[in-house]
Amino acid sequence: MTIVLAVGVARSWPVALRGAVGALAVLAVIVALFGPLLHLIPIEQLKLVVGIVLTLFGLAWLRKAILRYAGRKALRDEDAAFAREVSALRSAENAQADRIGLVTAFKAVLIEGLEVAIIVVTFGAASTAALGWSAAGAAAAVVLVVLIGLALKHPASRVPENTMKFVVGVMLTSFGTFWTGEGLGIAWWGADLSLLLLAAFYLAVAGALVTVARAPRSVRA
Amino acid sequence: MKLAAIWEFIAGDSRLAPIAVALAVVVAVVLLRANVASGVVAATFACIIALGLTAAVFERQ
Repeated sequence: MTIVLAVGVARSWPVALRGAVGALAVLAVIVALFGPLLHLIPIEQLKLVVGIVLTLFGLAWLRKAILRYAGRKALRDEDAAFAREVSALRSAENAQADRIGLVTAFKAVLIEGLEVAIIVVTFGAASTAALGWSAAGAAAAVVLVVLIGLALKHPASRVPENTMKFVVGVMLTSFGTFWTGEGLGIAWWGADLSLLLLAAFYLAVAGALVTVARAPRSVRA
Repeated sequence: MKLAAIWEFIAGDSRLAPIAVALAVVVAVVLLRANVASGVVAATFACIIALGLTAAVFERQ
């Protein structure tokens, strides 16, 4: 959202929206194409592959969020990113600036949205209804982000981005572990209920890791 | 798009987390084939992934 806003402010809103809508259309095609295709794969093998991908995604998000909480990695500064993009776009030659703005907005939405598209497709792998719900959830999130962007016309620097990534990381890792296990033939205790146990377990581990990873710095201080 | 870029997109920049996931899968397969109770396999599987997360947090960036 930050980059699309920067393009809108620095160049023009039609250019920013064209880039963003174009990328969203590509993402919708990806979901519409790959979502139903996944139903052709046998469910156990699908769970295994989807589970592994979700676990890897979840661990990557969780690791980044833990490092940011622990102060070992800088928190994303939306205001700084916004200022950087606006400055770069304003310094571009007029003839090229609109094209650069369009490509910048398109790339930003496509790259950020691709992660979401993969999550939508994998969560929707269970059934056509699940794909519908999964896509509807993502679409609702897009609408919410657009509304916030239009209301603020400024980067949402107060949104607790790291907390959201931490929670999503825990959820993805839990779902990923559960599905990989099911794909391998593990019979989880309490069936779907064990998802809650897994989430509680990973939450506890991640919380402890934030504290432990933070410790050396506070000793030095 | 290069394969390395696709891999980094999925697994992030940690080397240890994917190794832990692979190890967890291999250990689970071995335990299941040895007819170990499913509850034990499940707990071992989740613990190896949690250890992978721990290792990934402390690995050199």
